[in-house]
Amino acid sequence: MEKRIPVLLDGDPGHDDAMAWVLAKACPFIEIKGITTVAGNQTIEKTTYNAMRVCTLLGIDAPIAKGRSMPLLCAPRTAGNIHGQSGLDGPSLPEPCMELSALSPVELMAKVLRESDEPVAIIPTGPMTNVAALLLAHPELKHKIRVISFMGGGIQSGNWTAAAEFNILVDPEAADTVLRSGIPLYMAGLDITERALIFPNDFEKIRSVGNEVARVVADWLEFFYKFHREIGYEGAPVHDPCAVVALIKPELITYEDMYVEVETKGQYCRGMTVGDRKGVLGKKPNVHVGMKINRDGFADLLLEAVKTFDSEGK
Amino acid sequence: MSKIPVWFDADTGVDDATALLLANKLDEKLQIVGISCVAGNVPVEQVTENTLRICDLMKKQYPVFKGAGKPWFKEYHDACYFHGNNGIGDAVLPKESYEAGKEKAWDALHEAALRYEGQLEVIAVGPLTNIATAIVKYPDLNKLIKRVLIMGGAASGGNVTPAAEFNIYEDPHAAQTLFMSGIPVVMCGLEVTMQAYLTSEEIDEIHGHHSSVTDFYYACTRISHRASQRLGLPGLCVHDACPVLFAAYPELFKGEEAGVYVETQSELTLGKTVTDLYSDFQFPEKNTFIVTDIDREKFAKVMIETLTSYRD
Repeated sequence: MEKRIPVLLDGDPGHDDAMAWVLAKACPFIEIKGITTVAGNQTIEKTTYNAMRVCTLLGIDAPIAKGRSMPLLCAPRTAGNIHGQSGLDGPSLPEPCMELSALSPVELMAKVLRESDEPVAIIPTGPMTNVAALLLAHPELKHKIRVISFMGGGIQSGNWTAAAEFNILVDPEAADTVLRSGIPLYMAGLDITERALIFPNDFEKIRSVGNEVARVVADWLEFFYKFHREIGYEGAPVHDPCAVVALIKPELITYEDMYVEVETKGQYCRGMTVGDRKGVLGKKPNVHVGMKINRDGFADLLLEAVKTFDSEGK
Repeated sequence: MSKIPVWFDADTGVDDATALLLANKLDEKLQIVGISCVAGNVPVEQVTENTLRICDLMKKQYPVFKGAGKPWFKEYHDACYFHGNNGIGDAVLPKESYEAGKEKAWDALHEAALRYEGQLEVIAVGPLTNIATAIVKYPDLNKLIKRVLIMGGAASGGNVTPAAEFNIYEDPHAAQTLFMSGIPVVMCGLEVTMQAYLTSEEIDEIHGHHSSVTDFYYACTRISHRASQRLGLPGLCVHDACPVLFAAYPELFKGEEAGVYVETQSELTLGKTVTDLYSDFQFPEKNTFIVTDIDREKFAKVMIETLTSYRD
């Protein structure tokens, strides 16, 4: 068996964060070393409670650190219209079976990086507040980060505003810090995540797997799809798992190496990931940007992941 | 069928010149009622001289008016690297036989708009300084102009910066003034204009006709054609022909209604035409028809037919 890649999961669950963690947990060559939560889809209280419930459901026994209540510099904003009041509405979930870590996300991530023999992959699927704080507080640990594979941004377009995608818009300064870090970056932006559609007939395939995780994932997909159907989607765009795919099955995604900068100002463009696709600036690419995804392969990957859990979950 | 009265605003310019040669020959559909000149590819004095000389070349002495010599707030920069020092690829045309009108571009445009009682369409293929100045000077203008068809912007990406296209970037504040004016805009941005190219073979075919117009076309496209080849493009884009052709033959194009505004408040994305075309987020108003596709083969056919129909 291949050596397992140590991974830190950083997110704001969130239906699609939770499904990203399903992929990570199911993958035999990933070892989840820590979970850090961030304010985003819902308040930090809610995303942290959700993270604990999701980890309980999936049998993830890594330490969980609760993040700060707001982005680096600006006021928080949430996405209750998409994820519901709890931030993870839909099926009922088990109550948390663990205690929170006494460490902050930066302390936990630093500890994992320091103690790991192998460089660690970080997978942020929410605003990148924690990751930016880590880079600001521990520049000396940069070399222990193998890669940051994040869900966020979009080269062609935004979603929350015309120019900006939600995760980047919530904390543009954090995203800017990460993109300037020089660490190898894989970006799962709207260019692929809005095409990572799971269709209603896929929901049924997943449900028919029959275990507890399968039932919950099918219910999450149905809940997530309800909102998106009303604004014209043919399936549920499950954004966050795309950031995990970059590590576990990169051949499903077509990457373009690009110089990308985060807009932190502007009347319309704050939070935009400005990608120099034509190279007019002549700057060295800093991001591997996912521009195409194999939709069917992606749906299969999620289905196969769900099958790895036993009848009680785990 | 009655012709569409058209006002042409340009920073002539290689493809502006071509667009004007095209507009003049689409006279079954379009009637040019005036031309205003704006600083863009080259300084406005040069633009005005070029425009008068091209009118002479077409044997049509359209009224020509000089407009803004610089953008509203930004510094002026030319694009001589692409358009040659005189803006028309250093092609030499005989000295003009007539002068530009005494009125300023925006005053002349407003007068024409009054004269045509709401039917006037404006084709603007340079920075939008003249149009915006007319808008802020004449509060009734937005009711008097039927629509403005522009070459400018992009639904995503840019050419002078990663986020902005040249014409909008040159005067982003003027462009934002147009998009906020309530006048319907047809935006031919980079998505469509990069498809509107002529191949080397097609340019040779045009040149093969050896009239003073085709000789001029060949001479004035030499520099930009070579630059395009260096950039690895499939041919020479005739960006500015798109709004002209759209005005006459919209059936050659595809596009969609969308909300469009221009970023003016940040350096990195200055001049980006921000659109909700692809985003979940929707602006409350659809102020623009964004043209996204062109039938390239039919476009080339029209261009060749038009340019070779000029006789000495």
